[in-house]
Amino acid sequence: MTPELIAEKLQARFGDKILEFAKDAINPVAKVAPDAVHDVCKFLKDDAELYFDMCHNLSGYDLGAGKNLAVIYHLFSFKHQHWFAIKAEVPREGGHLPTVALLWRTAEWHEREVFDLYGIRFDGNPDLRRILCPDDWEGWPLRKDYVVQEYYHGIRVPYKEDWNNFDTLAANPERGHFVFQFEKRLPVVNGNGKAAEKSNQ
Amino acid sequence: MRQYFRDVWRGVFTVLIGMRETWVHVFRPPTTKQYPHERFQLPPGTRQQLFMNADDCIGCFKCARICPVNCIYIDTVKAKPTEDLGKASTGNPIRQHVVRFDIDMFKCCYCDDCTTVCPTECLYMTDKFEASVYERSNGIYHFSKYEPALAMKMLAEQAAEEAAAAAAKAAKAAAAPKKEPAAAAPAPH
Amino acid sequence: MSTFGALGNIFKKQRYYFEGEGEMVVDLDPSAALDQRRDELIKARQSGNFPGDDMIVNMGPQHPSTHGVLRLELVLDGEIVKKVTPHIGYLHRNFEKHAENLGWNEIIPYTDRLDYLAAMNMNHGYCLAVEKLLGIKELPKKVEYIRVICAEFMRISSHLMAVGTFGLDVGAITPFLWAFRDRERILDLFEWISGARLLYNYIWIGGLSRDMPSGWIKQATEFLDELERNMKEFNRLLSGNQIFIKRAAEVGVLPPEVAINCGATGPVLRGSGIKWDCRKDEPYSIYPQFEFEIPVGEGRYGPMGSAFDRYWVRIREIEEAIKILRQALPQCPEQGDVKEAIPRRMKTAAGAECYVRSEAPRGEIGFYVRSNGSDIPDRVRCRSSCFVHVSLLDEISRGCMVADMILNIGSIDIVLGEVDR
Ligand code: SF4
Ligand code: SF4
Repeated sequence: MTPELIAEKLQARFGDKILEFAKDAINPVAKVAPDAVHDVCKFLKDDAELYFDMCHNLSGYDLGAGKNLAVIYHLFSFKHQHWFAIKAEVPREGGHLPTVALLWRTAEWHEREVFDLYGIRFDGNPDLRRILCPDDWEGWPLRKDYVVQEYYHGIRVPYKEDWNNFDTLAANPERGHFVFQFEKRLPVVNGNGKAAEKSNQ
Repeated sequence: MRQYFRDVWRGVFTVLIGMRETWVHVFRPPTTKQYPHERFQLPPGTRQQLFMNADDCIGCFKCARICPVNCIYIDTVKAKPTEDLGKASTGNPIRQHVVRFDIDMFKCCYCDDCTTVCPTECLYMTDKFEASVYERSNGIYHFSKYEPALAMKMLAEQAAEEAAAAAAKAAKAAAAPKKEPAAAAPAPH
Repeated sequence: MSTFGALGNIFKKQRYYFEGEGEMVVDLDPSAALDQRRDELIKARQSGNFPGDDMIVNMGPQHPSTHGVLRLELVLDGEIVKKVTPHIGYLHRNFEKHAENLGWNEIIPYTDRLDYLAAMNMNHGYCLAVEKLLGIKELPKKVEYIRVICAEFMRISSHLMAVGTFGLDVGAITPFLWAFRDRERILDLFEWISGARLLYNYIWIGGLSRDMPSGWIKQATEFLDELERNMKEFNRLLSGNQIFIKRAAEVGVLPPEVAINCGATGPVLRGSGIKWDCRKDEPYSIYPQFEFEIPVGEGRYGPMGSAFDRYWVRIREIEEAIKILRQALPQCPEQGDVKEAIPRRMKTAAGAECYVRSEAPRGEIGFYVRSNGSDIPDRVRCRSSCFVHVSLLDEISRGCMVADMILNIGSIDIVLGEVDR
């Protein structure tokens, strides 16, 4: 089935829960009201003509600091070999969506990942913990306005380099000595042989 | 029961086949090499330690800008109109002193992006890979021709000149306040 | 009732056929009872009085057979594994956040480090996604050929690693060394063509980083002859060994409907008997020009979808990759500029997005890319197959022995760099 037909079918079934349908996009995607996500997914999975038996990708994204967060589901059907995508937007603070982990097992960990990195809650997910970051990490790393925490259990988190500026170099001019050895034992080799010519000159 | 003994027999038999294969290998020449004593010939274009030929660098910052891990640190001082720094061997005129060109080889991911964008081909990868050092700071390679003290002096001079120029400009702007809105318009961007 | 919990499933000869028709009953019981039991056990352990005969054992993160830093929390009843809870994230570096601060081009070295055993395929997958987003349709013939050749060589090398380490997990050391010998030759070829041995940064958006050196094709063809001989030896040594077959053919059973529902792809999916390969069924690049087959698990020595089936699919895929290379190497054009289609400015409309998947050795790698109109991406998401496969470890190893856990991990062939990203 083409994405247009699928979208029509969805609109006929769910009416104004389907907010919009971008059919000119590279992957046509329907925007769904957040509270209808589970129902729409269940319909997409169970309907014999649609039969999306695989949730290929479930990903969150941020529309920008101060704007909404969104989750996009890329679904695929092995039986009919067609694709469809739906997405839902949730507010930045306290955003939550119904889970689809009981429809597709694969969504369970993907939802955990979205929760971990964006802070979107999935109601009904059997095991909603952080997955990639440690359990006591602060903040939601993939949000655009994320500021990394200063210390984590006494370990400094932001990477800071203070030893490559000129002051330390001037204080310790010996630091460059390795370069000159390196230069001495330098013959040869660049991809196109140009360096070899140069070093021969 | 029969199945059990058949499995035992097949287990022994297939192990014997495998042992024949390994036995054949005893008479083959070894594929390993005793590394520090014997060496492979690295192919041309191999990507190991970086090297920058300081005579040719024109200080264009292209390499520093493309580096995905930001491990190239460059500082340049504009040449005075009276100075002539010559040309790079590819013919590009050199317009600035490259007073600092440091590459942190511990941070470098050997991606080869910087050498492909270099317009004068003065930055390239060599075939030296045994670059372990005993101190963290020795992993930063300094390629500039300028001594650190001289480099700092030149940078300070340039900063002073720039500050003076900015002051002069500010004075000029103050003298001609009418032009200010026009100058301020592109600023928010 | 859990269809894949009890021991009965493992020792009964069961064959699953994927028809695609009718209702597929998938038992999605999240085993709430077991979860509860695990929580009780953790509480009991914390309080110090440990009741009953269930036990929690941590496997990893420094366990040599977990192929990296993976920690598995096993709930054991004697020798029998009742539940597996994988804990990942020890190698997490947030590739996706890095990508939001780099240009489209500069992300490619980072994609190398996702699946560092199949870096070419990661490059290829990412470039396919960005090319689709930027609307680059036609690439020079030479670029496409070299891409496919590199991807297939990478597949061979990655599968050699997978089958070698799988043998090592079972206890066979020699095949591992032999696999590494051949893999080393492939890395030599890659070093010649791209300059690096492991992390190539070779496939660029719209082109390649450098041209193919002359004589490379000849060398590669010679290597293929040698590889074919070596694979025969390898099969005689390991794949035909009855002890190995008996060991691997009855553990780690993954029924096809569960495989689909859990999102398995690549050899794990095909090992369960589903004939699906997106090189063939949803072709990209120039794959439609080549003739090759999709190997699927046959369940010849035990239930369909066992660890041995996945192993066998990988061995067969090496053969198919050799077949593709034999067709592609002579056809590859000598002349041509590999950099001519590289776009100067990489910009698209704000909000443009696309999701593209491609077939990497470990499964389908999908990249979801989204642009915000500037020349750095708004979002790059990597849908990694290994991540999904770790999540189905619980599914395939409930009811097995502790020693079989190692086989199960080895048979799904994970790379923790891709799991944790
Ligand atoms: S090779 Fe890559 S990481 Fe290293 S300095 Fe050049 S651009 Fe930076
Ligand atoms: S790209 Fe080349 S010329 Fe330009 S600053 Fe770097 S090394 Fe110098």
